[in-house]
Amino acid sequence: MTAAITGSGMRTCLGDSAQTVKALLAGESGIGPIRYYGPGTNVTHGYHIREDTDEERLLRCSGWLAECVAEAVRHAGVDPAVQRVTALVGTGLRELRSVERWAHDGAPLRRHQTHFAAAVREALNGAPVEVVTVSNACAASGHMLALGQDLLDLGEADAVVVAGCDSMSESMLAMIGLVTAEPTTALRPFETTRTGVLLGEGAAAVVLEPADRAQGRTEALVRGVGLSCDAYHETAPDVDGIVRAMTDAHTRAGVSPDQIGLVLAHGTGTALNDPTESTALRRVFGEDGPGPLVTGIKGATGHTSGGAALMSVLVAAEALRTGQAPPVVGLDEAIPEAGSLRLVRGGPQPVDTALAQINAFGFGGVNAVTVIEVTR
Amino acid sequence: MTGTAAASDTPEVRITGCSVYLPEPFPVPARGPLAGVLARLAGQPAPPPEEAHLVLGRKGLLYKEPATRMALCAVHRALGLPEGKKPAAPLPGGAGTAVVASSNLGNVETVGDIVGHVRSGRLRDVSALAGPNASSNIVASTVAIRFGFTAPNLMVCSGATGGLDAVRLGSLLLRTGRASRVVVVGTEPADEVASRLNATGPNGAALRAGAACLVLETEGSGVRLGAFRRSPEAVPVGVGTGLALGQGLTGPDVDPLPELGDTYGASGVVYAALAAMSLTDPEGPDTALVACGDEEDGYALLELRRQREEALAGSGAR
Repeated sequence: MTAAITGSGMRTCLGDSAQTVKALLAGESGIGPIRYYGPGTNVTHGYHIREDTDEERLLRCSGWLAECVAEAVRHAGVDPAVQRVTALVGTGLRELRSVERWAHDGAPLRRHQTHFAAAVREALNGAPVEVVTVSNACAASGHMLALGQDLLDLGEADAVVVAGCDSMSESMLAMIGLVTAEPTTALRPFETTRTGVLLGEGAAAVVLEPADRAQGRTEALVRGVGLSCDAYHETAPDVDGIVRAMTDAHTRAGVSPDQIGLVLAHGTGTALNDPTESTALRRVFGEDGPGPLVTGIKGATGHTSGGAALMSVLVAAEALRTGQAPPVVGLDEAIPEAGSLRLVRGGPQPVDTALAQINAFGFGGVNAVTVIEVTR
Repeated sequence: MTGTAAASDTPEVRITGCSVYLPEPFPVPARGPLAGVLARLAGQPAPPPEEAHLVLGRKGLLYKEPATRMALCAVHRALGLPEGKKPAAPLPGGAGTAVVASSNLGNVETVGDIVGHVRSGRLRDVSALAGPNASSNIVASTVAIRFGFTAPNLMVCSGATGGLDAVRLGSLLLRTGRASRVVVVGTEPADEVASRLNATGPNGAALRAGAACLVLETEGSGVRLGAFRRSPEAVPVGVGTGLALGQGLTGPDVDPLPELGDTYGASGVVYAALAAMSLTDPEGPDTALVACGDEEDGYALLELRRQREEALAGSGAR
């Protein structure tokens, strides 16, 4: 069953939803020197949320999440005190940054603050909604969209708040720094000279409702979300697993690949992801027709992990609505594996389609592929 | 407002296998509803995480954290695999099998340890093989890779309700056709960092290392899942967690917390597995109510019913 997005909110290094989309179309990047984390991580750059203080606030991730959830629910006009509302929060690193500061800096933390129930309930004025935090790496919010649609399909909720969020953790930065010889200075998806991934931060939230009860309030339709697990390797993606998620998404959405005119790629600028994703896209969309336009946001926003899928969904929805697909920031010359893929580069490209596909692949081989529809 | 899950036009979900994996000794009561189950459990020792190879076989355990090792052991036993031997992956049915894991504290020690190395300029001393443990979904993905489970893979980290949240999401994956079998596994370690963080919680019980697993399917025979509920408040009898066995259930009347200790994100799976074992005992009750949670995270409740009820009441209906 198709679900409708009836409200949304987003915070990235580029700003709120409108500011993010505007900056993406202008080809801007939110890259800057890394803050808060010492030189010991071997990571020098990142895509930080702009804040009016140099101090690292406590529970930053929970704060952005709460802002986005409040905004999305306000837009949707849903009342959690009256309707059956479930909140599903997808995250890669939870509040592990707060655990690090608790363990090493003596910052205050209680065990329930490692997840996001309190943050969501506070955003909803204390409404005792059911909140489930799921830590599914860089595909987390894509998985939550799938489960949100499932809950509506089975009639187990009137509305589902689907959200994603992450702040950087020192431990994850360190593990990125450990496997890079020279620190990366920009994330460049699908670029031949790419040097690896950099982290972003932020949050996004949407309200999902059954489409037949959302007439006149619909921002975009979630047609279907496909899920799969490679069960292959912790850090190396697998073409077959990714293709299965895409095929599952198309089946659940009731669409064929040739109906999809735009793809928001996962595109992390790593040695492994970009060729694997390119190969999977070419296998699914074929080499004969022109194929969909392919773009991605991580060259501008960094890898925002738990929120990445949902941010890409919101950017894709705006592209379908305005007919303008933003370019891949940082892409000059595409990797050979991209072959015939129509990557958007240099500036925005017109896109005249109602259906977009959003890819999200995570550590451990967890894949979530979403198909959305916006009719102009 | 509580969430309720009980769809009538979707297939029933059954527990077709289960296990509880508690390496440290626990008291076995002489009488009471769980005496038999706990005595049976105590009779099958659970080697500590560093000796997990006795259950799992030797390969593929390097740099795996205690929570991950115990989760693998719980899954291995719930699936009835031969002890001490790594099975060839994928297992039969692996392509349709999903994994839903629950853990909150599994990697907090590793995360703290990596930061300790960074702060003292010793990052190069950290093995790249430990790197994956910085990601919180390491438990769920390791289970999938070891056994070859390629259906959806979820890592629930929702605090004290996590165990039953995982059961609920597992049931959802079956009823929407995303999987034909779901392995639900809860696990928590009891290292120094995890224990200290756990002590900031409201219930005051010491953290116990352990894991438990439920295998959920819509085919086959086994204890049936009933209604799932989330509630912001403790259940009516005033006992927040545990399980009730027998008829006319309103809330848990057996609270294993003081004796077993707190298994936090695993507790919902531990209690559900203990209840399922009671319900398959010929002398056992017909229904059970399982609860987990605390006053900060809220509570989750799940009803379970034994198979023989169906044999008596529903043989003509299906």
